Amino acid sequence: MTAAARAAGVRTRALRLDPRAKLTMLAVANVLMFLHAGPAAQSLAVVLFSLPLLFGGKAAAGVRMLAVYGVLCAVEWASALGVDRLPWLHIAGATAAGVCMMMPCLTAGMAMFATTRPGDMVCAMRRMRAPDALVIPVVVMMRFFPTIRHDYRLIRQSLRLRGFAGGGMALARHPLRSLEYILVPLLMNAANVARDLTVAGLARGLGAPGEPTSMVELRMRAVDWLAVALSLAPLAVAAVTG
Amino acid sequence: MTQQSALPTAQDAKRRLAVPDYINIGVFSALYFMIVALCALASNIAFGVAGNLLLPAFAALLAGPVFMLLNARVRAFGAITTMGVVLGLFLFVFGHFATSLVTGIAFPLLGDLVARLGAYRNKAALLGGYVLFSFGCAGPILPIWLMKGAYIASLERKGKDSAYIASLFDHVNMATFAGAMLAIVVGALAGGVFGLVLLRRHFAKAGVTQ
Repeated sequence: MTAAARAAGVRTRALRLDPRAKLTMLAVANVLMFLHAGPAAQSLAVVLFSLPLLFGGKAAAGVRMLAVYGVLCAVEWASALGVDRLPWLHIAGATAAGVCMMMPCLTAGMAMFATTRPGDMVCAMRRMRAPDALVIPVVVMMRFFPTIRHDYRLIRQSLRLRGFAGGGMALARHPLRSLEYILVPLLMNAANVARDLTVAGLARGLGAPGEPTSMVELRMRAVDWLAVALSLAPLAVAAVTG
Repeated sequence: MTQQSALPTAQDAKRRLAVPDYINIGVFSALYFMIVALCALASNIAFGVAGNLLLPAFAALLAGPVFMLLNARVRAFGAITTMGVVLGLFLFVFGHFATSLVTGIAFPLLGDLVARLGAYRNKAALLGGYVLFSFGCAGPILPIWLMKGAYIASLERKGKDSAYIASLFDHVNMATFAGAMLAIVVGALAGGVFGLVLLRRHFAKAGVTQ
């Protein structure tokens, strides 16, 4: 079902909200968590914030967030029933209630992370007048994550080739040595990549004065404003129910 | 906006950060973020939700070489702060509580100031800066102390007695808080020394440092 949903999402132009709308959701989720919002506001927030995932071509992730929330609520409810007889159920109840409290934040974060393309994110940051000191490191980071994973695999392979067991056991037996063998090549390569990226970036006018043009055009459409308005609803519910 | 704190302060340093520095910061922040993410995964698998308490200490233990090499390559005010801010932003966007943004700005800024006292070359200043910087990663664990409030509220909503759980948490709270903070200091000292040793043994000779 998930593969079909994803394919359908791609074909029928999945809904892509403006990153700023999703940022509003994150802010609302944080306020809810700070205020210890009641179950009504909390569950409404989780459902609303999973909508960008469900309609944005990441239905599997959205369903997973909702399912986790459902299980947590069930655990909390069940442990509250038996807690008078079995005090240790407090541990399960407190854990479930605590993670429930974080679920609006985690769902909004997942929506932000899974449905936002790097280009959109950068455009939104520039539009919000973030300084170069912030935008450039973020761009470089997103570009560099896949490289780290690739390098790490190559390092493990070459360690194995030279007869150092690359498994978790070796890491546990010689933590310091294994760490050194993995970190030093990673850092060495990071330094080289930084140099190459600097040359490539400067050649393309990175950090040149004036506002850079963008491949992505971001506009707050009607859908985005609707999303902003909807994401404020849990706050209203929290204000009413206390 | 709070993020801009990285820029104006950079102007007081003898050297202003430029584009190559930003790229260095980005590359090393990516490594740092990967280490934090791996530590979060590992400590969550090993200890459950409570494992988050040890996350900053684990991260501090492993990320020393990253921090030291970044400083060896930039040696200017603003690099440590920017790395902390960028990490805080990423944590926030990944759905952590806004406290991760606050600690991600405040503690790295302090660490930057301390490391600056030694002109980013004095080892003691760098170590002190790293210990302070490591507290910047403590933001994601602060909500654990908010959890108590959430659970008590939920018990009261169901009409249960919450006195027992409140007293239980009071005992756990101070001890675990002190323990978690002490673990960060110990982890950061060990990780920082390890970083300095690696720097001398591998990177200084290879000319990777500035």
